[in-house]
Amino acid sequence: MEYTETAPIGRQKASWLPSFDGGLALMVVLIGTLGFYIVYPLLLILINSFNVATIAEPPVYGLKAWQEAFSEPGIWQSLWNSIKIAIVLQGIALPFAVFTSWLLARTNIPFARGFEFGFWISFILPNIATTFGWILLLDPNTGLFNSWIKSIPGLGSVNFNIYSFWGIIWAHLMANGISTKVMLMTPAFRRMDAAMEEASRMSGANTLVTMLRITVPIMTPVLIVVFLLSVIRIFSSFETELLLGIPWGFYVYSTKIVDLARQEPPLVSHAAALGSIVLLFLAAFIPLQRKLIARRQFTTVTSQYKPKIIDLGIWKWPATAFVGLVVLLLDVVPVLSVIGGSFMVRFGFFNLPRTWTLEYWQMALTDSRLLLALKNTLIIAGSAAVIGPIIFSLVAYVLVRTRLPGRNILDSICWLPSAVPGVLSGLGLLWMFLGTPFFRPLYGTLFLLMIASILSGVTLATQIFKANFVQLGKELEEASRMSGAGFWRTYVKIVLPLMMQTMVLIAVIKFMFAAQQTSSIILLATSESRTLSLLALDQVASGGREVASITVILIMALTVGVALVARSLGFKAGIRAESS
Amino acid sequence: MAFLRIRNLTKSFGPVVAVNDLNLDIEEGEFFTLLGASGCGKTTTLRAIGGLEKPDEGEIYLGERCLVSRSKGIFVNPEKREMGMVFQSYALWPHMTVFENVAYPLKLRWEKKPVIREKVGAALELVGLRGLEDRPAPALSGGQQQRVALARALVFSPRVLLLDEPLSNLDARLRDEMRQELKALQRRVGITMVFVTHDQIEALSLSDRIAIMQGGRLLQVGTPEEVYHRPTSAVVRDFLGKIFSLSGRIVEAGDRFFRVAVQGSVATLTVPAPAAVSPDAFKVGQEVLVAIRPEKVALWNFAPNGKNNLVQGTLESVHFLGDRYEYTVRIGEKTHLLILPALESHKAGEKIFLELKQENITLWPATGTS
Repeated sequence: MEYTETAPIGRQKASWLPSFDGGLALMVVLIGTLGFYIVYPLLLILINSFNVATIAEPPVYGLKAWQEAFSEPGIWQSLWNSIKIAIVLQGIALPFAVFTSWLLARTNIPFARGFEFGFWISFILPNIATTFGWILLLDPNTGLFNSWIKSIPGLGSVNFNIYSFWGIIWAHLMANGISTKVMLMTPAFRRMDAAMEEASRMSGANTLVTMLRITVPIMTPVLIVVFLLSVIRIFSSFETELLLGIPWGFYVYSTKIVDLARQEPPLVSHAAALGSIVLLFLAAFIPLQRKLIARRQFTTVTSQYKPKIIDLGIWKWPATAFVGLVVLLLDVVPVLSVIGGSFMVRFGFFNLPRTWTLEYWQMALTDSRLLLALKNTLIIAGSAAVIGPIIFSLVAYVLVRTRLPGRNILDSICWLPSAVPGVLSGLGLLWMFLGTPFFRPLYGTLFLLMIASILSGVTLATQIFKANFVQLGKELEEASRMSGAGFWRTYVKIVLPLMMQTMVLIAVIKFMFAAQQTSSIILLATSESRTLSLLALDQVASGGREVASITVILIMALTVGVALVARSLGFKAGIRAESS
Repeated sequence: MAFLRIRNLTKSFGPVVAVNDLNLDIEEGEFFTLLGASGCGKTTTLRAIGGLEKPDEGEIYLGERCLVSRSKGIFVNPEKREMGMVFQSYALWPHMTVFENVAYPLKLRWEKKPVIREKVGAALELVGLRGLEDRPAPALSGGQQQRVALARALVFSPRVLLLDEPLSNLDARLRDEMRQELKALQRRVGITMVFVTHDQIEALSLSDRIAIMQGGRLLQVGTPEEVYHRPTSAVVRDFLGKIFSLSGRIVEAGDRFFRVAVQGSVATLTVPAPAAVSPDAFKVGQEVLVAIRPEKVALWNFAPNGKNNLVQGTLESVHFLGDRYEYTVRIGEKTHLLILPALESHKAGEKIFLELKQENITLWPATGTS
């Protein structure tokens, strides 16, 4: 690949071999930049797990951190807790999602598209919002649902406690545990050739036997992909455990790291030691993940594609009620409880003399901390939405359309962030900024959070761009090159305009993720650079639930609101297996 | 009483009536074909027989057993109908081997293992795939997949075999080969087959009887020879192969013959009266169409002695297509396309004579033609 300036038209090139000079420089810049911001911080974690001194002090190397970290039972416990949650959660969510996807895609259940949209909404809803919504309902002392059920005669002793292991599982199921899987599996189920099922019926099998012996086994490759993607993210889970585990001293991997790094004095090297274990675990899994997702064609799509659906007969109505209830629990219940929380004097107390109030909204909208957090969120999410698509479209273009050396390295770098828990990349960035004298003044500014936000969706963004570049006819670009335009002119004048739709889509996705993320920035933010999500976590922790609901509503407006606007404008979020 | 009886079958998809009040009798052991262009309702009819579509109206009987009756509220599920089906996409299950695919219907019938092994072996033997039992189904070629699908549909000795365009996904050479084998297979097994196709060659060469469908209705049912040579409608005539037609006017009405003056030519042709039409359907002075299968047209460089029914024309152009010639013939104002075997060559610009033997031509009203 050539730059125009290095290969002006008419200049005699020595051969038909591609000239590497300009392209190589571009590659070096891309690998250098992404490597510096993605790989280097992770290396710092590994190195500094052997550094006994704290951040920004001259390093003293030793094994003390490892020894201390792993003689403390809390560390092992937190790792085991992460795994335990993952096993129980997947054990429930996967069969549940398979059955729901089958109902939505293969049967004549009414409103299937509407229900699918409900799962999409649930996927978009920030974890903080759903978890907080369920706290309002299932808090053992003040939960609305609990006080409601106590008022039913004979059920007085029933009390749900969201601050428990099963409470965390429930919150995960209601957040993304089910909805992500349904979103990924339903289209795959829908693409399956209906004749496969009909052949089974003709062979003498009824609907149920056909589902168990034909449909689900054929879908096994998809199920495995969805399952392994969940496994890889075992250690990424953060907000739910932070909100529901910390109050009763239950730590998982990511909350433990934050806890160690925030202790006085901070035990950053302990955190690094804990981080390193998972990095080694992921080193084994990232190539696997890459292989799984790169293999696109899981299902048997025949040319005689015919979406025939199975008649459920009278079972149609129980099935509709079942899926409807799930969508209600996933979307409507948490959102209503959060909105209700912001307008009630005390949430759940309907028999107070004054039940409803606008006081909290008045307080919130004049609260300088909230306004600062809103401004920070808009700046961070906005810059991620603007800069992200520009960088990652270029990266994807180079990966798909050039034959430059080093593409494999660049591609590997882009796969890394999808599997690394946000807390770890945040810790690495923190180290990099505090440990590098040149960067140190930037600590405490929004710049750090912007970097973290831009990087957090690298994998998803490059994968979507790559898929679109592959589809884009190569002839369109070649015609431009034949007309005399160089690499950059072709990229700017032909490729980017054709990719505008995708650019906007990526911008929307980046904005949404940046507006709700917490784990990758929690270690980087100060009270001055705090975002809405971080503010909400603090507010919930300090018990200001009515105020917190307003913050959560703002986050929902910035995520679900933006997603709905984009969707109504025709941008169907092409969220694939690689999304978080 | 016929073996498989369809009475007043009607099925709509939204506003589209796919099958409209269809009545059909299929005999036991018969190779019966539903032929028609796409969207004519043939596949819907087949799927209704198999139980994969629930009809809006009508009844289907297999022997003494009622499979569907809207009025009696009977609907037998597909798995209870004892019918085998071969799908257009073959629908082999990719997570199973060849053996497992074929054994599946037997397992569902709780057959014992040795019986399953024996029957699967026999079925694979029948389709010539012995020895491929352990292959995964997707690892087979198109023709082999087709055979596995056949074996799977036959292995449990169904009472009827339904075939939904089974040859359409094969390439041309393989299609011819499979067609031969399918016919041979039916002779050996003797099972009643209902075959759906849009390919008139398949229909004509395979079937004992053909039903030609259009717009959800039956146009004509008969043996291949009947429907090819004695089509009762213009649609059937045009669907079953190519047609060469001349416009004209009846100048003389005989007892069993008409004389037709060809438009743009001095020639008059003798045409036999159509059998199926009432005697006064054609009158002197009426505009008509004279139709013939193009392979029955003979071309002459001169007016041969002792031949009648000759029409003179001019060869506008000649194109060589390998085994055939494509001629553009001008008769009066009109040009006609004629494709004939490359036996002898004629040159463009020549005067020629077309011989239309009277036993091969049919007479049609000028309206409602192709």
